[in-house]
Amino acid sequence: MRSKIRWILLAVLAAAFVGAGLSRISFNVEILKMLPTHLPQVEGLSLFLKHFAQPNELIVTVECASPEAADAAAEALAAHFGTRPDLVKRAVARAPWEKNPADIAELFAFMLLNQPPEKVREIVAGLGPDKAAATLQASIEKLTESISPQEVALLSYDPFNLAGAMSTSGLMSGTQQSEFSSADGTFRVVYLESAKPFANYKENIAWLQSIRGAAADVKLPAGVTLGFTGEPAFVADISGSMEWDMQSSGFVTLVIIALVFWLCYRRARPLMQLQGMLLLIFTLTLATAGLFLSELTVIGVGCAAIMIGLSVDYGYFVYQRSLGHTGSVRELQKECFQNIAWTATSTAAVFFALNLSSLPGLSQLGNLVGIGVVIGAIVMLTVFAPLTMRFRRSAAPHHESVIERLFASPRFLNAGAWFTLALVVVLVGALFILGVPQVDFSARTLRPRKSDAYTALERLQARLIDDRNVLSLIVSGKDEAETLTRLQAAEGELAAAKKRGEVKGFRTALPVWPVGENQRTNLPLLSPLATDLPRLKQAVLDAGFKDEAFALTDAILRQWSAWSTDAPPIWPTNETSRWILRRVASRNPDQVLAMGMVQPIAGHEDAVTAAVQRPGAWLVSWGQLGRELKRVIPQEFVRVIATLGAIYLVIVGIGFRNVRAVALFVVTTSLVLVCLAGAMSLLGMTWNFFNLAALLLLLGTGTDYSILLLLALQRNGGDAPAAQRELGLVICLCVLSASAGFGTISWANNVGLANLGQTCALGLLIDALISLFLLPRAWTLLHPKRMPL
Amino acid sequence: MRPLLFFACLCLTLPTGAAEPLDLAPVKKWIARQDEFRTVQADFTQTRALRALRSPVVVPGRVWFSTPNSLRWELGDPAKTIVLRKGDTYLLVQPAKKKAQRLSAGNIGPEGGAKGFAMMEFPLASDFAEFQKKFEILSVKTEGTHCHLELLPRDAQARRFLSALKITFDTKSGHLISFEMVTRDGSSMRNDFTNVRLNSKIDRRTFDYDLTGIDVAEEKN
Repeated sequence: MRSKIRWILLAVLAAAFVGAGLSRISFNVEILKMLPTHLPQVEGLSLFLKHFAQPNELIVTVECASPEAADAAAEALAAHFGTRPDLVKRAVARAPWEKNPADIAELFAFMLLNQPPEKVREIVAGLGPDKAAATLQASIEKLTESISPQEVALLSYDPFNLAGAMSTSGLMSGTQQSEFSSADGTFRVVYLESAKPFANYKENIAWLQSIRGAAADVKLPAGVTLGFTGEPAFVADISGSMEWDMQSSGFVTLVIIALVFWLCYRRARPLMQLQGMLLLIFTLTLATAGLFLSELTVIGVGCAAIMIGLSVDYGYFVYQRSLGHTGSVRELQKECFQNIAWTATSTAAVFFALNLSSLPGLSQLGNLVGIGVVIGAIVMLTVFAPLTMRFRRSAAPHHESVIERLFASPRFLNAGAWFTLALVVVLVGALFILGVPQVDFSARTLRPRKSDAYTALERLQARLIDDRNVLSLIVSGKDEAETLTRLQAAEGELAAAKKRGEVKGFRTALPVWPVGENQRTNLPLLSPLATDLPRLKQAVLDAGFKDEAFALTDAILRQWSAWSTDAPPIWPTNETSRWILRRVASRNPDQVLAMGMVQPIAGHEDAVTAAVQRPGAWLVSWGQLGRELKRVIPQEFVRVIATLGAIYLVIVGIGFRNVRAVALFVVTTSLVLVCLAGAMSLLGMTWNFFNLAALLLLLGTGTDYSILLLLALQRNGGDAPAAQRELGLVICLCVLSASAGFGTISWANNVGLANLGQTCALGLLIDALISLFLLPRAWTLLHPKRMPL
Repeated sequence: MRPLLFFACLCLTLPTGAAEPLDLAPVKKWIARQDEFRTVQADFTQTRALRALRSPVVVPGRVWFSTPNSLRWELGDPAKTIVLRKGDTYLLVQPAKKKAQRLSAGNIGPEGGAKGFAMMEFPLASDFAEFQKKFEILSVKTEGTHCHLELLPRDAQARRFLSALKITFDTKSGHLISFEMVTRDGSSMRNDFTNVRLNSKIDRRTFDYDLTGIDVAEEKN
């Protein structure tokens, strides 16, 4: 009775723990969260994504053979979403200033307010009673002489030539790249802002589905193709595929484990119990992760399958031991404890040691798998072991499985050794001939394999705005003044880089950045001008202009007057201004950021980036990130692997207390890594951020096989065939399960995660073959008289 | 900023459309004849009827063109503005102010390409297929030897501020009689050509300009 209450209490506590943990699980789709935050590219790109990526702005692309149909479709979509305030706060199919031209006056007034005081004094003088007529006459002359359509159109609505005071360089000058339509009009874009910010990725996915559904309801001209991209589409795509990858890889791993177990033992009840244990371990690990770790990144998602693949090893070991066990449960637990504690400790230690890395993604991977391994060992020893004993007592005597019979056959062991030797020769030869696998740190490995959002983005880049070779300038400061100083310094560097031939062109937020000092000086000069409006209007009419020619001047002068009591720095606030500034300026209570675009000359990206790089200023792109990772990550991995290798050697040294065993372990592990590199070269695989992590996983998992074999040789007095017989089945089960775990993520939607799965599965198979067939043979060759280790 | 305001100013009216079947034969013939013109010289009167001005501004001018892409466009008498084109480079000279600016073809008009407000691009198209690719033909009317052609560029950027391009040409000789650009705000700029000389010899020095003492600004970022 007491035992029952204890179990019920334990179950309730476990349920509460699991409930609390799972409810806190959240995904972070930002790939940068996995990379070292101290890297300038990571730092700059993180700021870019946080402040300028527009998390609530969906980009709907409209493509059609006819410009008229594309225009009609874009307008229809914007009109339809304009009637759905439950979904969309703002639907924009053309620039806001096209809808409300008068709105532009605010931004215009703001930009003039930022001009140097001497220029503003000139403006004020030009508007004075004695100069106004001459200013207007000069404009009329320009209207007569100019061949520039821009100048003619502008001057006819700006008769006092206020725009003449503004700098023509920078953000707004030159040919305007439309963010709404391709040059031929057959590709249009509609921007949809969500009605409210998304609380989590599930809300984001649901919103996108609603938008797709609502768009399908709009009657569009025939032949129109819609695409959905932008931050909400990426979040929905990536988090959706992460969720799916996690669930599907975990599920498929469980199925494969069940098949392997069934083929070896042909027993249903222990199979069900083992599956139950794995689910329990997975749930407890995920709940622990939810409670103690921050958001799961894409690399953490892959751990579900890996954890199951590793934890099942302990289950196999316990079950295999239980088949021949005649003592009590406690004795079985004691018997298994040494081996499981040994491998679990070493595996967990290696994974937890990943915290030594400066890569947050690797640390998370290490923590997740480490927690999973520890929980797995505890569950298998405390829950599964008693179950196997209970089952064993009621089951028929154990019959040898096919694998056990094979490992009992000297012919099979010989054939296995020759096959593995041949494989090693081929792989080492491949490495020698083809060289080490190439390194690929491009953004390709960081993105999903299939993504509608990426497809739409590629169309957008091909048809509208190709920013693939553009570097983004991010400038940050504690306030507008600090950001301005840094922005000016960055502009200076960019201008110098342009002179050196490193930059084709650049545009920064400088022309639309508030200059507090100028605003303070200019405002008292400009705000009283509103009192002169009647006189100025009369002067305009007298010069031959119509009423409408004065509208812009009128609006600007009134705006200055409206700002007269505001404290600098003053920002424009109407819809048009906000639309224009949303991609170039971002303000928070403790940080003010500006953005710019730089077109580098190919081959000079590093030089320009280095020239601009300084505290608070970054020149970033995904391409530059790849280059930076290529420089930094291999060194980082070498450091981490060397540290882990040293830790492993110490653990193995203490465990074996035998130099030859340690030497054999080192040679085996090295040979596995060499063969893996050869296999990767042969298969045309490349090293990237993700599958470099696979090396660490191999250190943590694959080495268990050689350790177990060496321990078995120790137990069997150096009798290699006996050791192979003892561990053949368990290692086969382990490698099949672990490879299944990794194998299932080979099909993950994330390219990098899939590469990690492929590399690990390949590495584990090689490791198992070498450990099972060559390691005992090598020992026998070295010690023909069966010397005990 | 300036282009932005420029677009805002022009976004006051909408473009017109036409759907009637058109007799394109004179246009095809005219385009086909473009190859025959190796040189063009003409005088013109430019009338700028700007919506914001009470009365139009009228300026005289002269133009020289030689295949494949040499152009001299003078506005004013004496010339206050001179545009010289050689290949893809334009030189804008203001003799009175002793100032000049060198620009690439992509920067001469707000939407790119040599579509400056005051000038017409020579030649309009190499063949009718290209012409149709570049322009939507809104209307074609023939009166005697004058053919009135109303077009709209297919370029989406140009369509944002242009409501029509109106061309009148002589169906007999093929020379231009007038060329007018109408913007969406209702402003227009019309060039009426007179004294048109086709295929007469033009001194190559016409397309050069002595920049001694002229302050030349290169294209900005």
